[in-house]
Amino acid sequence: MTFLAVLLMAAALAYGVSRWTGLPSVPLLILAGVGITALIPVDQELLLDALVLGLTLVVFTAGIELNPGRVRQWRGAAFQVGVAQFVLLGLVGLGVGLLLGLGTGPAVYLGIALSASSTLVVIRILQRRQLLFEPVGRIVTGVLLVQDFLVILFLPVAGQLENGVSAVASGVAATLGLAVLALSLNRWGAEWVVRRLAFDEESMLLLVLSILFGFLGLAWLLELPLVTGAFLAGVALSSFPSNLLVRGQVSSLGEFFHLLFFVALGAFLPFPSLGELGQSLLLVGAVLLVTPVMVAWLAERAGLSARPALGAGLLLSQTSEFSLVVGILGVSAGQITPELLTIIALVTVLSMVTTPFLATDRMGLMLMHLHPSRWRTPDRPSPRDHILLLGCGRNGMAMLEDLVIAPYPVVVVDDDPLLVEKLAAMGLAAYRGDISDPAVLEQVGARDARVVISTIRRVEDNTPLLRMRTSGLTLVRAFQEEDATRIRAMGAEPILYSQAAADQVMEWIDGMMDAKEAPRA
Amino acid sequence: MPETRLLLDLGLMVVAAALFVFLSRPVRIPSIVAYIFAGLALGPALGLVEVSHTLEVISEVGIALLLFLVGLELSLAKIRDVGRVAVVAGLGQVIFTAAGGFGLCMLLGFGAVESIFIATALTFSSTVVVVKLLDQKKELDTVYGRIAVGIFLVQDLVVIVALTLLSGLARGDEADALGILREVGLAFGGMFVLLAATWAATRWSLPRIFGWIASRPKALFVWALTWCFLLVMGAEALKISVEIGAFLAGISLAQLPYHGDLRRRVHPLMNFFIAIFFVSLGIQMEFQAAAAQWLPAIVLSLFVLIGNPLIFLFIISRMGYRRETAFLTSVTVAQISEFSFVLAALGLAAGVIGEEILSLIAVVGLVTIAVSAYMILYNHGLFAWLNRTPVLRPFDPPKGREVDEKKNHGHLLQDHVIVVGMNTLGKELVRRLHGRSIPVLAVDTDPGKLAGVEGPTLLGNAEYLSLLEEAGLHRARLLISALHIEDVNRLLALRAQEVGIPAVVLAGDQAVEDELMLLGVALAINSRAAGAAQMVIELESRKVFQP
Repeated sequence: MTFLAVLLMAAALAYGVSRWTGLPSVPLLILAGVGITALIPVDQELLLDALVLGLTLVVFTAGIELNPGRVRQWRGAAFQVGVAQFVLLGLVGLGVGLLLGLGTGPAVYLGIALSASSTLVVIRILQRRQLLFEPVGRIVTGVLLVQDFLVILFLPVAGQLENGVSAVASGVAATLGLAVLALSLNRWGAEWVVRRLAFDEESMLLLVLSILFGFLGLAWLLELPLVTGAFLAGVALSSFPSNLLVRGQVSSLGEFFHLLFFVALGAFLPFPSLGELGQSLLLVGAVLLVTPVMVAWLAERAGLSARPALGAGLLLSQTSEFSLVVGILGVSAGQITPELLTIIALVTVLSMVTTPFLATDRMGLMLMHLHPSRWRTPDRPSPRDHILLLGCGRNGMAMLEDLVIAPYPVVVVDDDPLLVEKLAAMGLAAYRGDISDPAVLEQVGARDARVVISTIRRVEDNTPLLRMRTSGLTLVRAFQEEDATRIRAMGAEPILYSQAAADQVMEWIDGMMDAKEAPRA
Repeated sequence: MPETRLLLDLGLMVVAAALFVFLSRPVRIPSIVAYIFAGLALGPALGLVEVSHTLEVISEVGIALLLFLVGLELSLAKIRDVGRVAVVAGLGQVIFTAAGGFGLCMLLGFGAVESIFIATALTFSSTVVVVKLLDQKKELDTVYGRIAVGIFLVQDLVVIVALTLLSGLARGDEADALGILREVGLAFGGMFVLLAATWAATRWSLPRIFGWIASRPKALFVWALTWCFLLVMGAEALKISVEIGAFLAGISLAQLPYHGDLRRRVHPLMNFFIAIFFVSLGIQMEFQAAAAQWLPAIVLSLFVLIGNPLIFLFIISRMGYRRETAFLTSVTVAQISEFSFVLAALGLAAGVIGEEILSLIAVVGLVTIAVSAYMILYNHGLFAWLNRTPVLRPFDPPKGREVDEKKNHGHLLQDHVIVVGMNTLGKELVRRLHGRSIPVLAVDTDPGKLAGVEGPTLLGNAEYLSLLEEAGLHRARLLISALHIEDVNRLLALRAQEVGIPAVVLAGDQAVEDELMLLGVALAINSRAAGAAQMVIELESRKVFQP
């Protein structure tokens, strides 16, 4: 019990520092664990059990969150980017591992450990910046899902590599077989189990845990890593509505074991030598340099405009919590040394800590200056005294019907190439561009427009426009009252979409109440 | 992973627990009884699982979380209107049952210390079992439900004293009365120090510390658990029981505005750990020891099943409550508590009682919990049947002292609108609904966002079914979600559909809108379309469309 209390205290400290500094909690939890071993003797039996239990639950809950429905129309793009990043970064890791003289087996582990980005860190940043349901957020979420799945698929490959090709093939076949079972349950059984069989929350928790332990048992029988079973058990429950119905029961358990796992991992790691620290920094450098460039290039090819693509690259520039899973499995299988696990953990900690500082709007704008598109010369004169619509979309199209009757020319800027093409075919002056780029705003004459209408959601993206001195009227979309205040302070007119939505709801409520009262009348 | 033994044992325990819970469902055996049966199957019957050191720790964590949770439930506001009856009936029953139980045990031939342990074990009723059953029957908010909860809370307070006394007794030398007194004194001293420290923290530190972290629900949850285990460590250091530390941690946090959210978050965790605890208890049980105790088991079970309700019937009816209310309340206390097992384990660990007493208490627990579960589930039918006989006639309230029970109703929101998500849209909707005198309940995970919102509010995550039940979803006229979180919005649409009330949900884009409509949402809020229309109105008002 004392051991658990100490782990919890370390975790509480890590969460406090995270709240204070804004850093992600995962690296701080690992560092807190390292601190424990430096201060007090640790019960090794309990530590290993905490690690095993924590690992199982962390991987299981990650599997439950693997719902491709979140990615929506960006599935293809996410798949392309996810697979390409996994393969290229994996090759980089493999190459660096071989250069460092690790041998093929450990180099493969290092390659897999470097090949995925952190779902926990990235999703949190996307939530905080309200980007989760924007195209960039959906692509990044999809990329993370693809990578998590690939890491789990490759675990038997790494584990069986030294036993020859047939062992690898049977490991992959067994994994795929278990995956088929998980997907079948996901498709046909999970909802029935969760909605029909469970009669209260407690029985639901028991059922969910029984599914987990059932898959662990199958993985054990098939001689697969148990984390593969845990992950696929999660996948079995990952479709709507099962995933959401079980979340209320599983999330507390997941949160508890999540912190237990990372703190226990920190306590489990040997203290790094200077050489290991140097190697870790080299690998962190590789991740930070290669990932943004590669992901940005791939995401642009997949349909994102330049700045969101670069933003996706910056967001994904860290290794994953699954890298730690890979390392632990390697150590427990005796295929990598604890020192290599320390290096993998250090790379994960350092790259996760740097992410909040790198994945910022400011960094994105700075890097845009290096983007090849900035070197192209503007090929059209800036319009004047026009109506400028920034961001069109489905509802902007409806607005355009009104705008075109105004006695001023209308210019539209959007980052969707297909939409811009469509508008141009209709005879409108439409340009593809990023409205948060001051150069684009200059090109489309934002400074000299009679009216500027921005339908872009985030104030941060509207800031370059708001900083630009404009002679005419500027209407800017806002949802939160505090955003409206900021927009007003910068001299523009906020249009509170939340007020308009509230009008819509109250109108509906009035209609509903009238309909109820009508029969009485 | 070479450490598969733990996972294998845990897997067997969880799967067996699930199997027994589902097999026992048709006969409505409460889950904790099913867990003990699962343990009996895995341990004494099949010998598949042995309780390892880690499983012991998990069981201890389960007990600590259970007491932490009971502490979290101890909100004074909940029992204010039934405070008097709860205190009088709770204390009265403790005294009568303890005295009666002690006398019975002495008559049955047990020693003094054993009799004290057994009598104390018989005294307390199971908060978890009863609250769970009342919740299942949706009768927690009835007069008898609230009185029962009040009584359990009073009993929970008495448990602290009993645990302290018995932990002192357990560590003292049975033959040396002075030694016992010294140990009891030390336990009380430790208790006093812990109480004082907890009170000081509750008064001066906790609100500020937890207020700082409260905007991050996950961190709040971790800090609450840390606080729980800090006090557990403190209790261990002061040589008093672990359970007291956890219980005090719960009470101290129950006074904070986040206690409801914490309770909902801790509950699933407790469910898991306590299941392991009860299965472990079954694994460690001895059949032979229980078989030899069949006569005391029958006598003591009958005493709890019939004697306890009679004591309550008398006390509650004397206090002016109607015959029906007194009966329904009394039926809820016809079982012994999970504390009884804790007490027995405490005595066994200290070596002052033998395994046969642990088994006896377990058998009495099994019998009384199982039978009383039926009594509670069918309490109205049972009352109607007994009311036709003269049995209940002596339990009418004295003339002129009848309590007006109706005045206790009216706490619940009825026909209200639940608004989830206190962003600008949520707040605006709450303001406008209030303006039209429509009862409205505001829900959010961030206490900062609920501050200043007009009318009743509920702090917590809408992903938890228990939050929606607490919000009275089945009694509501409408559920509105102003959240920007797609997953939660879909879940809320589904929950509303399940209970058949209309839902109005914010939709991010067209694809989401279509999905929500398929889930039966009455209105998918399209803020983009509404906002775009507002833009056009603004342009018209500025005469942009005129030459």
